[in-house]
Amino acid sequence: MPEAILREVRRPARDAARPARRRPGTLPGDPGVWMFITADVSLFCLFFYVFVSGRLASPAIYEESRRQLNAGIGLANTLILLTSSLFVALAVEAARESDREQVKWNLRLAVAAGLGFAALKLTEYALKIHAGLTVTTNEFFAYYYGFTAIHFFHVLIGIGVLTACFVKARREPIDGRYVIWLESAGCYWHMVDLLWIVLFPMLYLLRAA
Amino acid sequence: MSHNCPPFPADAPASVIATFFREQANWVRTGMVVSMTFVICYLIWAVAIGRVMGKVVGKESVLIDLQVWGAGLTVVPILISSSFWLAAAFRPEGLPDAILQLLYDMAWLLIDLAYATTSVQMIAIGVAFLQDDREKPLIPRALAWYGIWVAVSFAAECLMPFFKSGAFARNGLLNFWIEFPIWFVWAPTLTYYILNAIPRLEQEAREEAAHA
Repeated sequence: MPEAILREVRRPARDAARPARRRPGTLPGDPGVWMFITADVSLFCLFFYVFVSGRLASPAIYEESRRQLNAGIGLANTLILLTSSLFVALAVEAARESDREQVKWNLRLAVAAGLGFAALKLTEYALKIHAGLTVTTNEFFAYYYGFTAIHFFHVLIGIGVLTACFVKARREPIDGRYVIWLESAGCYWHMVDLLWIVLFPMLYLLRAA
Repeated sequence: MSHNCPPFPADAPASVIATFFREQANWVRTGMVVSMTFVICYLIWAVAIGRVMGKVVGKESVLIDLQVWGAGLTVVPILISSSFWLAAAFRPEGLPDAILQLLYDMAWLLIDLAYATTSVQMIAIGVAFLQDDREKPLIPRALAWYGIWVAVSFAAECLMPFFKSGAFARNGLLNFWIEFPIWFVWAPTLTYYILNAIPRLEQEAREEAAHA
């Protein structure tokens, strides 16, 4: 496991006295952001339920459609998002150390990875549409476009929020208030990552029984 | 009163919608007149929220402008959609089924796809009240975040034109049975806290005056 992640895991006990550090046993970021995350994850759970119900009703159509997706692109996007999440975690780490330059660099890389995800997703959409596979092709593709478009919207919001954190890192002090901002953004970004980690196997990998 | 709760399914035959408007014309007319008359109350409500927001972010904050404009523009699609339903009920006996279906569809497409105006209002409210640094905020931070989430989740309405059945259809599980109730939880809850905030702000003003 990379040393930076190990530091992240060990940090609360070691540096509990720092002013920017959250109290042990409390959630990172603004407590209210967890309301957002809980509600959003619940909504996506509903999407997953709707998809699985549709799949159980028409397994042949779903399986045939799934085979027309490019799992390689889906996997690449998974790795890109995971990498982006790592950069955000490193940015939070740097913010807790008040290391402005490291915060800025890691946020730059996180945003770049997010843009990479967006570019690859748009390319995938273009390839599918060019191949005649659109939102009206069948129920599988309706859900494929629907769920991934809503997730894509979340990615765009995340890129905007991380960019705002970058701008704040350039102009404002890296203090406890900034750490809460960045932790909240990081929690959101990890949620976006988590949702994709469920969407990817569900859409691209799940085979008919 | 225009058979909107829930709406007719998007894949319902035109004859079903046409029959409803012909048989219930006066009921629809009454409902739409009431709707078009009182929808402006939404803007009045938003202006009141804006006054409370001013005590958190300052009177000059752009968030207040966005909130009030968002609410004002939310009123417009409701007015226009109500007028479409009213038009369908005005002389339904002389109109073909497909035209009545078209008016009904136009109203719902407008109501659902104008979500962004309401989202702007809700996000502005959420962001403003997240800046409240009182020990006990006027509006709970969880409610501010909840409002932002509702605003973001409205983006699912973008899928509605592509579906005539299922969860994303206008009468579907997500686009009707979840998207509308989550707003109807947010609005009264926010109203409750806004009403509670007013005496607190008056008390703060009295204390400030006493210290001056």
